[in-house]
Amino acid sequence: MSEKDANPSAKDALVGGTLFGRWEKLRGREGTVVGITAILVAVFPYLFARAPVVSGFLQGYQSLATLILIWGIFAIGFDLLLGYTGLLSFGHAAFWGGAAYAAGIVAKNVSGDPIVMVVSGTLFAVLLAWVLGFLSLRRGGIYFSILTLAFAQMFYYMAASPLAFLTNGENGLTGVEVGSFLGVIHLEADVPSIGGMLLGTWLYAFVGVFFVGAVAVAYRILNSPYGMVFRAIRENEQRAEFVGLNVWRYKLMAFIISGGFAGVAGSLFTIHGAYVPLQSLFWTESGDIVVMTVLGGAGSMFGPVLGVGLYLYIENIVSTIQALTIPFTGIVLVRDFGFYWHLLLGVVFVVVVWVVPDGLWGILNRLRELAVDLGSKAAKRLRARSENGGGGQ
Amino acid sequence: MSLLSDVLVILLNGLQQGAIYVLLAVGLSIIVGTLKFVNFAHGALYLVGTYAGLFVALNVPLSNGKLAEWGFSSFGLDIGFFAALIFVPLFVFGVGLLMERYLARAFYDRPDTDQILVTFGLAIVVQELFRVLFGSNSLPFEQPERILSFGSFAGLPVSGPIALPIVGNFPQWRLWVIGITAVLVALVYLLVEYTDFGLVVRAGTRDAEMVRLLGIKITRPYIVVFGIGAALAGVAGVVGGPLNVVNPTIGTNILVPAFLTVVIGGVGSIAGAVLGGIVFGLTTAALVSFAPAWSQVGLYAIAAIVLLTRPQGLLGDEEVTP
Repeated sequence: MSEKDANPSAKDALVGGTLFGRWEKLRGREGTVVGITAILVAVFPYLFARAPVVSGFLQGYQSLATLILIWGIFAIGFDLLLGYTGLLSFGHAAFWGGAAYAAGIVAKNVSGDPIVMVVSGTLFAVLLAWVLGFLSLRRGGIYFSILTLAFAQMFYYMAASPLAFLTNGENGLTGVEVGSFLGVIHLEADVPSIGGMLLGTWLYAFVGVFFVGAVAVAYRILNSPYGMVFRAIRENEQRAEFVGLNVWRYKLMAFIISGGFAGVAGSLFTIHGAYVPLQSLFWTESGDIVVMTVLGGAGSMFGPVLGVGLYLYIENIVSTIQALTIPFTGIVLVRDFGFYWHLLLGVVFVVVVWVVPDGLWGILNRLRELAVDLGSKAAKRLRARSENGGGGQ
Repeated sequence: MSLLSDVLVILLNGLQQGAIYVLLAVGLSIIVGTLKFVNFAHGALYLVGTYAGLFVALNVPLSNGKLAEWGFSSFGLDIGFFAALIFVPLFVFGVGLLMERYLARAFYDRPDTDQILVTFGLAIVVQELFRVLFGSNSLPFEQPERILSFGSFAGLPVSGPIALPIVGNFPQWRLWVIGITAVLVALVYLLVEYTDFGLVVRAGTRDAEMVRLLGIKITRPYIVVFGIGAALAGVAGVVGGPLNVVNPTIGTNILVPAFLTVVIGGVGSIAGAVLGGIVFGLTTAALVSFAPAWSQVGLYAIAAIVLLTRPQGLLGDEEVTP
C-alpha cells in the first residue's frame, strides 16, 4: 500500500467519516436497538417527571410515563399487523380489553400475582386472536376491518350485560387487588436509591421490562425471514402467494402475534390501574390505537411509540392547559385551549393521513436523511479543501 | 294482549328501528358500491343531519358548550318539522358534494385503508366540533306534534298513539318513519334502476374506465351519488333524532350498525341494504322483548354469521364488491 491510499482514510477519520460509518453499521443491530431502548426507558420517567428544567416544562408525571409504555407495547404489536402486514384491524379493543378483563378476573378469583395476571391475560388474548383471526381473515380489505370491528363490538356488548356477573357490567371491573411481585416487592413502592430517581416506582420498572422485551421480540420477528414474509404480503399479496408462500397462515400468525402484544399491554393496564373500564372494549379504543399508530408512523419500529406518547401527552397534559399564550408575553392566543384537545388530535390525524402517510417518524426520518446528506456534502467539501491545501504545499 | 298482537308490535318496532339503518345503509351502499369509497364519516353526516334538523325544526335552549359560552342561549329557527324534512336533506346533500369534491376525490386512487383512516379522522373532527359547540350533554329533540301546519290549517297530526287493528295503540311517529323511509328508498331505487342517470351510475359500478372511454363524464354522476347518499343520512338524522338521544357521539355509535347493514345486505345492492336493515331491526326488536340483555349482541352475532357463511352478503354480487 502506498502512502497515497492510506491518506484519505486518515483524513476521513479526522472529519468523523468512519465514526459516522461505524454508527451507521451499529444502528441496525439488534443489540444496539434493544440497548438504546433500555437506556431510554430507564431515563424517560426521570426526564419526564422529575428532571429539574425539562419536567417542569413538560409537566409530566410518573403514572403517565407508565401508561405511555403500556400503550407503546400495544402500538408496537398493532403496527406489526397494520404497518408491516398491511391489515387494518378495527377490533383490537377485544384483545386489549379482553386481556384486561381476564387479568382482572384472575386477580380477583385466583391470584393477584402480577406475573400470573400478565400470563393469563396474554394467553386469553392469544386464544381470542386465534379464533377471531381465523374467522375475520376469510375476507380481505375493508371486510376484514369491518369483521374485526363487528366481533369486537360483540364482546363489548357481551361484557356490558350478558356477562355482567363476571365483568360487573357498565361500572367496569372494580376491586382488583394486585399482589406483590414474587411475594416481596410491592409494585406501588418506589425503587430504592438511584433507581428510584430514574425509574420511580417498581411498577414502572416492571412495565419497562416488558416494553424492552416487546421491542426485542418485535425487532427479532421483523428482521427474520418470517417478518420479511409479512412485508412481502403487504407489498403484494398475490405475488407472495405465487412464490409459494401460504399467505393465509402468515396473516393469521401476524394477527395472533399482534393480539398477543395487545394482551400483554391490556394485562399491564389492569395492573397499572387496578380497574378495568367497560370502555376498554369499545370500538373507539380500537380507533385510538389506529390513530396513535398512524400518527406516529405505521411501518416503523418506534414511530407508533412516538404516536402513543404524543396522543397520551395531548390527552392528559395538553388537555389541562387553561389558555394558550405566547411565551413570556402573557398574550392569550386561545382561551380554554385544553378543551379542544380531541379536536386538535383529529385535525392533526387527518392531515397526517392525507399528507404524510408515514407519520411523524417518516418526517423525522426525512430530516435525518437530510442532515446526513448535508453532513456528507460538508465532509466532502472539507476533504476537497484540505486536499487542495495539501497540493499547494 | 294476544301473542299475535305482540308479534305485530315487534314487527312494527323492528321495521321502525330497521328504517333508520336502511336510510343510512342505502346511502352508504351506493357510495361504496359505485365510487368504491369507504366512508367511515357516514355517521358524521347522520350527526350533522340530526343537529341541522334540530336547528330547523325547533328552538332548544343551550346550557353547555362554547355556543352557550359565547352568548347563544338557544339554538334554532323553530319553523317546523316539515321544513326540516325539506331543508336538511338539501343541506346535507351540499355537505356531501363538498366532501366528494374536496376529500373523497383525492382518495379514490389510494388504498382502502387510507380511505378508512381519513374518513375515520374526519368523523372524529366532526364529532369533536359538535362537542365543542354544543357540549357533550344530550339535547332534547321532541317528536313533532303536527306537520304542515300553515295559518288556519292545523296540519297533519304525527305524534301520539294511533289505534291500529289487532295491535291496539301504537306510536304514530314510528309509522311515519317507516313510511318516509319506504318512499325515499323507492325513489332512490327508481332513480338508479330506471333513469339514464342510474344507467351511467350502474355502468360505472361495473367498469368506470369503460364508461369514461365511451365519452361519458363520470365525475358528475359520482358527485351526485355521494350527495344523495349524504342526503339520505341527513334524513335519517332528522327522522331518527326524536326517537333516540341527541349528542355528539350518535354519529360514531350508529356507524358500526350502518356499515354492518351494508355488508350483510351486499355492497352496492339497494335491495340488500333494505333487507339487511330489516333483519337487524327485527332481530333487535325481538331480542329487546325476549332477551333484553342480548339485544345488542344479537346484531353483531348475526352479522358475523352472515359474513362467514355468505361473504358477499345476502343479496350481494361477488363480482362488483371492491
